[in-house]
Amino acid sequence: MTSDDAVAVVGAPPETRQGSRWRLNLPAGLLALPMLAFLAYFFFYPAIRLLFSSIQTQNSQGIIGPPFTLAHYARLIDVELYARVFWTTLRISLITSALATLLAYPVALVMVKSRPLVTRIITLIVIAPLVVSVVVRGYGWQLILANGPKGMLNWILMTLHIVDGPVSVLYTEKAVVIGSLHVFFPMMVLPLASALGKIDRNLEDAARVLGAPWWKVFLRVTLPLSMPGFVAGFTLVFSLTAGSFVIPAILGGASAIMLGNLIEQQIFVVYDWPFGAAIAVVLVGVVFAVNGFSMWLLEGRRLRRPS
Amino acid sequence: MDEHFSGFGAYVLYAITTAMMIFIMAPLLLVMAVSVSDSYFVTFPPQGFTLKWYFKVLGDRDFLEAMRLSILLALGTTAGSLLLGVPASFALVRGNFFGLAAIKGFLLSPLIFPALVTGLALLQVLTKLGSQDARLNLLIGHIVVTSPYVIRTVVTSLQLVDENLEDAARTLGANRLWTFWRVTLPQIASGVAAGGLFAFMVSFDNYPVTMWLANSEYSPVPLVLMRQLVNVFDPSVPAMSTIIILMAMVGVLLLEKLVGLRRALAA
Repeated sequence: MTSDDAVAVVGAPPETRQGSRWRLNLPAGLLALPMLAFLAYFFFYPAIRLLFSSIQTQNSQGIIGPPFTLAHYARLIDVELYARVFWTTLRISLITSALATLLAYPVALVMVKSRPLVTRIITLIVIAPLVVSVVVRGYGWQLILANGPKGMLNWILMTLHIVDGPVSVLYTEKAVVIGSLHVFFPMMVLPLASALGKIDRNLEDAARVLGAPWWKVFLRVTLPLSMPGFVAGFTLVFSLTAGSFVIPAILGGASAIMLGNLIEQQIFVVYDWPFGAAIAVVLVGVVFAVNGFSMWLLEGRRLRRPS
Repeated sequence: MDEHFSGFGAYVLYAITTAMMIFIMAPLLLVMAVSVSDSYFVTFPPQGFTLKWYFKVLGDRDFLEAMRLSILLALGTTAGSLLLGVPASFALVRGNFFGLAAIKGFLLSPLIFPALVTGLALLQVLTKLGSQDARLNLLIGHIVVTSPYVIRTVVTSLQLVDENLEDAARTLGANRLWTFWRVTLPQIASGVAAGGLFAFMVSFDNYPVTMWLANSEYSPVPLVLMRQLVNVFDPSVPAMSTIIILMAMVGVLLLEKLVGLRRALAA
């Protein structure tokens, strides 16, 4: 069923895999060299350089060099505007991933446990927007959330007499959360569905036979066993939201600027490379911290066993 | 209905799922609806029906040029990331040497690195190198971001290859290249195709890397679209968007045909 099972069925047992195969191990390893070299030069080296320029000084000619300083990082903390962008980014990312989790559980459950046709339709709907340009999707939300009576949301709300006057959602944090939820929701559903699909259904049946109501089966059996998927999805959604640029640019306006937008502004508008680099390093730091924490959770198998 | 869901819980699950399906489709359907609206301003509800915005878009030199550039860039990116990624996947699955796990982690690392920062870092180095050609810079940047996708799909399909068939070919006198070409490649073809399609789609839609490396002369589709979105208020932006949505849908259907979506994405 899953690819893991297929490996177990098709793949040779470990001892023959190691044995007298025609392939030689070292030459096989050499095949990784081109990509290794490419990424070393165009990914790893640039990242290190960026880290360095964040602790250097830019002179009036725009040349970056010594003396070394942590002033750019201090600025991010000291200047209230920048600190606020930092907290806004964390807040939006956290709310988006929390909402994605809450909404993805039902969808993933239905996706995994329904008839094949339903599963297929849900899968298609969840995945299809993934390949549609983020700019287009942000634009779609701009049309829906548009402030004033011409926006779709306001038109619906006012036609149904839920509100008397138009509500303002566009160019607020709420709009950015909605847009980010739309863009990154599949990243939560897919790992969750894959984790839920691996749960031995006998465990749930056993709980049910022993008289547990559906919510208790979910809370005590399904939820704990789906933790790997949850952690993976949460990490992905959080990281992607924190590093996003397009959605806050289209839906956030001036009131919900995120770290990505601040970086772009510092480089393209202010030409302050070291400060832009410092913000980028902080962004990477946040993303790596969250990823590291989830890796620690997953690899320690702290989540596999239901308590 | 499955016996897993029953009673009140089932209604909650289905209600939330249905609501989310509407939530997911709403912005795309709205964009498509507005694109055929016979009004000079984007309004809701859309009024009338016309295809004139499509004719306007298809006569728009900037948009067509961006389209051409984006497709060429995505094709180049696909070729580049397959050339680097397929052999590397081989090394990861068939190789057996010290540090393999670390190398795999390294090759996949652009996936968790914020793409925005990848682009910025690359811009700094390319500027320092004096590389002025936006097309080359974009190609490099896109390959950095897309090659890990190739690794993911190809590694998965390589793990499923029956090595006994390769041995059989070897025993019957085929050399290594011939064995690869006639025995291994057909077995991993869907994985390679999925990886390539991923690379194409990610490149075509990429904004966070493209934004740093493009210039006014070479602006791929996402950048042009973003510019139009701010400046143009007639339904030609929804029309452009609809063209892109339809192209994306073709990509998704291809992916579904080739490998099945869940498998392509869950790897």
